[in-house]
Amino acid sequence: MVFRVIAAAGTVVALATVGLMVYDSVITTAPVISTFGIWDFVTGLRWAPSFTIYGALPFIFGTLLTSVIALLIAVPVALGIALLVTEYLPPRIAGPVAVTVDLLAAIPSVVWGLWGLLVLVPFLRPIEHAIAASAGSVVPFLGPPTPGPSYFAAGVIVAFMIIPIVAAVTREVFAATPRLQREAVLALGGTSWDVVRRVVLPIGRAGFLAAIVLGLGRAIGETIAVTLVIGNAPRIGSSIFSPGFTLASVIANEFNEATEPLHAESLITLGVVLLVIAVLINGAGLLIRRRVTQVAGRGS
Amino acid sequence: MIIEDLPPSPAPVVPPPRPVAIAAAPVVAPGAAPVVRIGAVSAYYGPRRVIRDVDLDIPPNSITAIIGPSGSGKSTLLRCIDRMHEIIPGAHVEGSITYRGIDIYDPGVDPAAVRRTIGMVFQQPNPFPTMSIATNVIAAARFNGLVKGRSAEDALVEHCLRQAALWDEVKDKLHHSGSSLSGGQQQRLCIARALAMEPDVLLMDEPCSALDPVATQQVEELMLRLRERYTIVIVTHNMQQASRVSDRTAFFTMGTDRAGYLVEVDDTVKVFTNPREQLTEDYISGRFG
Amino acid sequence: MAAELTLARAPAQLRPTSGGRRTRAAVARTLTFVALLVALVPLLAVGSFIVSQGIGVIRPDFFLQDPPGDLSALGGGIRNAIVGTLEMTGIATAIAVPVGLLIAVFNAEVGGRLATAIRFVIDILAALPSIVVGIFVYELVVVGQGHFSALAGSIALAVIMLPLIVVSTEEMLRLTPRPVAEGVRALGMSRWRSYLAVLLPTALSGIFTGVLLAISRAIGETAPLLFTALGNNFFSVSLSEPMQGLPLLIYRNALNSAFPAARDRAMGAALVLIAIVLIFNLVGRWLVARRNLARR
Repeated sequence: MVFRVIAAAGTVVALATVGLMVYDSVITTAPVISTFGIWDFVTGLRWAPSFTIYGALPFIFGTLLTSVIALLIAVPVALGIALLVTEYLPPRIAGPVAVTVDLLAAIPSVVWGLWGLLVLVPFLRPIEHAIAASAGSVVPFLGPPTPGPSYFAAGVIVAFMIIPIVAAVTREVFAATPRLQREAVLALGGTSWDVVRRVVLPIGRAGFLAAIVLGLGRAIGETIAVTLVIGNAPRIGSSIFSPGFTLASVIANEFNEATEPLHAESLITLGVVLLVIAVLINGAGLLIRRRVTQVAGRGS
Repeated sequence: MIIEDLPPSPAPVVPPPRPVAIAAAPVVAPGAAPVVRIGAVSAYYGPRRVIRDVDLDIPPNSITAIIGPSGSGKSTLLRCIDRMHEIIPGAHVEGSITYRGIDIYDPGVDPAAVRRTIGMVFQQPNPFPTMSIATNVIAAARFNGLVKGRSAEDALVEHCLRQAALWDEVKDKLHHSGSSLSGGQQQRLCIARALAMEPDVLLMDEPCSALDPVATQQVEELMLRLRERYTIVIVTHNMQQASRVSDRTAFFTMGTDRAGYLVEVDDTVKVFTNPREQLTEDYISGRFG
Repeated sequence: MAAELTLARAPAQLRPTSGGRRTRAAVARTLTFVALLVALVPLLAVGSFIVSQGIGVIRPDFFLQDPPGDLSALGGGIRNAIVGTLEMTGIATAIAVPVGLLIAVFNAEVGGRLATAIRFVIDILAALPSIVVGIFVYELVVVGQGHFSALAGSIALAVIMLPLIVVSTEEMLRLTPRPVAEGVRALGMSRWRSYLAVLLPTALSGIFTGVLLAISRAIGETAPLLFTALGNNFFSVSLSEPMQGLPLLIYRNALNSAFPAARDRAMGAALVLIAIVLIFNLVGRWLVARRNLARR
């Protein structure tokens, strides 16, 4: 009895504390919302603290754009690694390879940022310039300017950071493919690619999707590495090579110097927007995972 | 008995009550060239030998049953015949296996090519869960490039499902999932899927062990009909099944080195009525295993 | 009609895989190796960059001195940041581990809907961007206290660690063999004692592993410390003062990396941080691998 009370008390105190933190933050947004209105704040194009004008759209845009770039790079790579580890490498080598890829996740965000700032951005600049000068004149959104720090650079860094998590989850999903299904394809004269194409991918599709959603959840919240390479410009860039801002990076960059009226409150409101996006993505991930376990329960 | 009430049928419908009844089963024509010749085959998982020095000929258009206690390497031998043994990491095969004179373990031979000609049906029915019944049947024919075009595919689906005696049961739900079928239907679907590759030899690894008696009987009848076109090897631990369906029976057991080996092989009638080896007799009469 | 189908097989013939299919299979296989390469290049690039640039900075003084007041000035070390990181991570661990254990045990005990609901909250907590955790703790602790502090930084790191510890502990309690769990009850032990005396110790190595991995995650976090511990150029061990941490020091120096001194300091600190994270991470992984081996 005493024990239950202690365990319950610990749980309640912890959750209540978290709840209180959320509550405190959410009520801090009240003046912002009463001044601008939720909709106008979220769709506002201009962020000018010295004029007390706060619109979140440039940051929502930046968050989504960098996340999409990151997923476009990370998902195929993670898929390839998961297939390599589960389908092509002998187990003795597959284990160490998987651990090595996992090490990418052990590099702290700030170290990625440091490397991004000093190595990746200077490395990408001529490439961005070449693309902008050629394809940029035809394809919208690939044009100049190409100062270096950009949505693109941030997307690339975030891609490296989410590859290990997407690869790890996908790997587990693929490894759970029933042996009998793989053998069925092989016994019918299928190649290793047929095994992947007819069995591993179709059966693992929902789990792979869950892995992507998990990666997306990580990508939208990535802060410090992005702050160091995105160029910190509070507007919607005209190109993926333009400098910009994400929700997380504008908070990191401006919060400690937020002395203008409503500036800090607006940044906290951005944090709440980020929170809502994160919860939505996580909810979607949970739904997919629940479906995955149901499907797995039905199969043999 | 109710046999008299049934319409005449070329295949035995009700299993004979005692092994003696198999005397009526057709016996393989002597002198027919074997389809598969297994010579001095040993199979390994890593350093451990699981079957030892097996010599066995599989005659054409016959059913060869492989019987024996658990651990005697029956399934392993079957998997050596279509080069499925080697897909397990660390597993390898020694000795020679030929299919109609072709050394299937020749380095120049593509294992996938062997598996297209020597089909396999597994112990657990394993239809592809994400595919419809029709797609299951056509899957291998499709990725092996055997059919082109919608109408050819439809015709092949019907042909194979008829051959597998499943057509009438599923013709109205060809686009339902394969996993919506009963266990026996799933197993016949897997047989149809294997037939769609138009193989020459069909290997069946305890195909009825997951099925109820009615489904078992359906699959056995099917095997007897398929014998006209195909050469069949079946692994079973059900001796009645071996005596009911097979023309030849090979008895395996496990040696003191824990490796399986062939004790004897002969016409099924002979093995079940007058085996050469004491070990066989003990096993068949239920004194061991 | 269907039975009259003409069939592809000629007897005594194997049908080899067509060239196109062989190529497709080979291309797919090659692409997976390319994918691995794409992931390994940044890993090697970051590793070699930090090691090659950081190693020259590391001298005894680097560990024994505090940084100069002006980031652009040469000399000094990162003593305050190392001590700060260890102190804040230590306090975060001291908060997150008992609370995490209580939540995991509570969930295992009550089960049902309530446990599912709590698990959902823990999932959300795990998915929170760490900068949002920083804001939450700022609102509750920094605003409450009226100043930035090492305590606030520790709490923020504890919030990061908490879900990781709950999840790994729940996993371990689930894996505790049923007979052990039931046998303990059958002995008439109180639940309290059964957990303290038997269940938690049985799961101890697993829980310890979870804690190590949570520490390795928290120790590299910058974002939750920005508005809580804030950073401090001077040496401080006081919980009520702003405190420096390695990630914060790297971040501030990286922002000023146009100055060679700041750049070098960031490199040396990054090398130290990576080394610390790797130690916790690899020891944790090694324990996982050893346990998995033992269970086979």
